Amino acid sequence: MVKDYIETIDLEKSFGGLQAIDKFTLRVKKGEIFGLLGPNAAGKTTLIKILCSLLMPTGGAAYVLGKRVPDRHIAPLIGYMPQELALYTNVSVHENVEFYGAIFGLSKDQILKRERELLRLIDLEAHTKAIVHNLSGGMQRRVSLACALLHEPPLLFLDEPTVGVDPQLRMSFWDYFEGLKDGGTTILITTHYMDEARRCDRVGFMHAGKLIAEGSPHELLDLTHTDSLEDAFLILSREERG
Amino acid sequence: MNVGRPVAVVKRVVADLNVARGERMNIGRVVAVVKRVFADLNHDKRTVGLIVIVPLLFMLAFGFAFQGDVRDVRVLVVNDDNGGGLGNASISDRVIANLDTATLTVDSATNESAAVAEVQNGKAYAVIVFPTNLTETVYGTAAQPPLAAQANPPGIIAINPQAKVSIRVLADKSNTEVSRAIITAVNAAVLKTADENGQSQRLSVDTTGAIYGLNARFIDFFCPGIVCLAIWNLTTLLTLQAFVGEREIGTLQRLFASPLRESELVAGYSIAYGTLGVMQAGLLLAVGVLLFNVIIVGNIILAFATIALLAIVSQALGILLSSVAHSQREAGEFMPFLMLSAVLLSGIIWPIEAIPVWLRPASYLIPTTYAVEAVRSVMMRGWGLSMIWVDIVALLVFAITFLVLAVIMLKKRE
Ligand SMILES: Nc1ncnc2c1ncn2[C@@H]1O[C@H](COP(=O)(O)OP(=O)(O)O)[C@@H](O)[C@H]1O
Ligand SMILES: [Mg+2]
Repeated sequence: MVKDYIETIDLEKSFGGLQAIDKFTLRVKKGEIFGLLGPNAAGKTTLIKILCSLLMPTGGAAYVLGKRVPDRHIAPLIGYMPQELALYTNVSVHENVEFYGAIFGLSKDQILKRERELLRLIDLEAHTKAIVHNLSGGMQRRVSLACALLHEPPLLFLDEPTVGVDPQLRMSFWDYFEGLKDGGTTILITTHYMDEARRCDRVGFMHAGKLIAEGSPHELLDLTHTDSLEDAFLILSREERG
Repeated sequence: MNVGRPVAVVKRVVADLNVARGERMNIGRVVAVVKRVFADLNHDKRTVGLIVIVPLLFMLAFGFAFQGDVRDVRVLVVNDDNGGGLGNASISDRVIANLDTATLTVDSATNESAAVAEVQNGKAYAVIVFPTNLTETVYGTAAQPPLAAQANPPGIIAINPQAKVSIRVLADKSNTEVSRAIITAVNAAVLKTADENGQSQRLSVDTTGAIYGLNARFIDFFCPGIVCLAIWNLTTLLTLQAFVGEREIGTLQRLFASPLRESELVAGYSIAYGTLGVMQAGLLLAVGVLLFNVIIVGNIILAFATIALLAIVSQALGILLSSVAHSQREAGEFMPFLMLSAVLLSGIIWPIEAIPVWLRPASYLIPTTYAVEAVRSVMMRGWGLSMIWVDIVALLVFAITFLVLAVIMLKKRE
């Protein structure tokens, strides 16, 4: 069996003259929650898109579940929550769930069962029939997350899943992610929130397409002699530039 | 009624007017707005291009397409006129010689039934029949010796001064513009002939007969065109906007990271929009029949199938165009081009026969040309699949090409 669910070796991606991913080497083991941190335009979304076979690398290599990407065969095994809303806003929550469930080959019964479980998690049980564009931004993000989790994929790519979600619910999300992890799910997640980063097994700091540091939250704090990941990131990115 | 309330209303209105009077315009701010609009355009070369190109295109397209008269329409002549012994001076030969050869391409046929069969097969637009006794009746003289050398042919003794004779025009009236042009041309030739020899009283043109589209009005001719135009425009635009929307909001990304294949996505859209196209067409035809008494001669199922095919072509084109449009607004910019191409070049209002010859190849690059031709032939001529198969094959070629290109385009990864 493959132990590294994600592996990139000197991965590169450029858009015209812009180097969005630069000599990026990373391993994520099975059953880990790996957090990618970095400012806007650092390349987090681009990296996730390459791993989901949505963009072609321009250099190096990336492997997901042991397969070199792009590869459509791994699609049923991954769950992807894009940074954009990625929901049909003119239809109801239920209709979105039903559609994405069908795309992943779930039966009607499975869809209904998963819908109940997930809507309880995201605290939207009362809104099944609600039209998506009538929901608040935070609620919409929660529905989007539910759609990525429907088919219980062993590997999850979550691009800023908690943006606009209130702190309490964010914590319950993380409890759920940890539950998934205990069940063997591997998660690559991007976030701005440092309190969330603390709950990752390992964290990677990303800056201008490069991985500037990587390790458990503790290791990164020790390395920089600070007690906040925010400071750790600032110190490391200054070193990188300086 | 309480007087206080209306008074309060009046006061409020007056107060509003006062506010309006207080509206002092500051020229500096107005100029700032003007500047901003132009600054915007300065950064949006695409819109500037549109502002220049679209009106020019309208002018050129309308100018060229509508400038032309109907041309090169093939008609068949059945000349049974025995010439009344006048040989070359027979009335039929003169009328034929006087036919406007720019409008009509004149060929002769041996007999009426063979000629009619050719029109029925769509190989010609009309049959012009000259009866046996044409020249005799016009001159009122039978078997006179040829007197062609004389300035005025002899009208000596009228056998029967009341006798009249008609040239019959049997036209395919399914294309009202073309049949009108044919009838005008024949009438003109007859008038000219009569002018030349002053024997017009006994001669007339009978245009009541029709091979197709007897009693057809412009609306009968126009209706299939409107249906095709509506399907073409709406379906292309709707899928174009749907795909641009899916791209913008990220659903397309999610789908491409799922087991859904691009071909499945395109097939799903095709079935959905094909069905919608048929429903739209059903609605439009119902209005046509119930409100405007549009005549439908042929198999309506075949017409609907053709329209569904056009809808599939259109939605595939919409998907294709979505790769060039990056926003809903840019998507809307395709509207004038779709509209122009169909209205002007595909025979919806203006027959292909009236488009200048050098511009006609453009017509055959537009899918609506084939759809309009096929649907019109089914509805007005009652043609079946054996007659419209060329159009159907053309539409199928468009459909397959566009669908394959759409799938390839969607599969492409940056
Ligand atoms: N399709 C694209 N074409 C051109 N540039 C792009 C494209 N996608 C992303 N970029 C650029 O790549 C860089 C990284 O973007 P992104 O991966 O979205 O960063 P992040 O998710 O960390 O905010 C940015 O500078 C962005 O403008
Ligand atoms: Mg991002």
